[in-house]
Amino acid sequence: MSVFKLDPDVYKRYKDEVLKLCNSFQKIDQPGLSDQQIAERLGLDERTVTEIRCVAERDCYSLDEWEKAIEFKKKATLEWSALALKRPDLKPK
Amino acid sequence: MNSSVLKSVALKSGATVCGIADANAFDVHAPEKHRPGDLLPGARSVVVVGGAQPREGDWAATSPWVMQSMGTTERIQSVGRRLAQYIESELGYYALYVPPGTASGDTPFLSFMLAAQLAGLGSKSLAGPVLNREHGFMYWSAVITTAPLDADGPESAAACPAPPCREMWEREGTTPCLKICPASAGGCLSGKLENGRAVQTYYDAARCNTRVHTHWVGGFQKVLEETLNEPDRDKRKMLLYGDFFTRSLWAITYSSTNIAQCFECMRVCPAAHGRKEMR
Repeated sequence: MSVFKLDPDVYKRYKDEVLKLCNSFQKIDQPGLSDQQIAERLGLDERTVTEIRCVAERDCYSLDEWEKAIEFKKKATLEWSALALKRPDLKPK
Repeated sequence: MNSSVLKSVALKSGATVCGIADANAFDVHAPEKHRPGDLLPGARSVVVVGGAQPREGDWAATSPWVMQSMGTTERIQSVGRRLAQYIESELGYYALYVPPGTASGDTPFLSFMLAAQLAGLGSKSLAGPVLNREHGFMYWSAVITTAPLDADGPESAAACPAPPCREMWEREGTTPCLKICPASAGGCLSGKLENGRAVQTYYDAARCNTRVHTHWVGGFQKVLEETLNEPDRDKRKMLLYGDFFTRSLWAITYSSTNIAQCFECMRVCPAAHGRKEMR
């Protein structure tokens, strides 16, 4: 007995399609499909789609993007502090 | 069933706003398994509470780590739990407090944002979060119940785009939220206004996850993967003992409450919070 393990080849084959159909990239009036709906469309079973989606959500961006997020937030926070507190000296250099 | 007593209990318990959605109203918007009746068969109503907004001091803090410690759903969750208890003990109907976690991956059990909209508490903004017309950005909690409560209808007028944003669009072809986090330059959002209304929106949830959950489950998994792939023992130690991994562990082990971790689209949004000057 083991946990459900997704076949990496199946993941690679369907990753982009699942990401496109689920809620990862949202547009107005274009709601993402449920795992079951995606499974029906791609001819897969629902559990496989759920696993593809979960892995793809995390796999979408590399660790670099997490580091960029830190720098983005530090800069934006200081810019706002400078504006809200009227302290231009707080602005990031 | 009159819902005014329940709303009164919600407000006394710490909610800023409370509304009731018809459970059946979710059917046309939410996918199967994410509707009230999927979680609690026989569901008739969804009670939604909002509140626990960041304070002006939180918004003005110079460290982004302040907001990600103070900006939490925890306080409004306790109101949701209390309402569920009240419905069962005082009204005698089933009440399911919707868990704030995820049903699978990053997908919630029930969309709190949709619930807030259907309960007439706010409308979706260009940036994504639902904004209340009076109080702006807030956190949400919801209780699904079999009680046949009087439902509120969705809001007819949206808080977004706010008048200053419409003016900015006319002037610059962008809005504060789209400008701070543009998808075209490494951010999460894009959109278009026509006649003062959003006619196109785009939201990159995966990129938003790197920002809103930087030191959270996703960040933990990414560093763990990097560590497992690193053959050098000393380099592995640097990754595991470093600030990123340590902060992520503090966050995900709830040693410090730490849920939402990026607020930049809401920080600059005139409808999300009024920039009140304090002394």
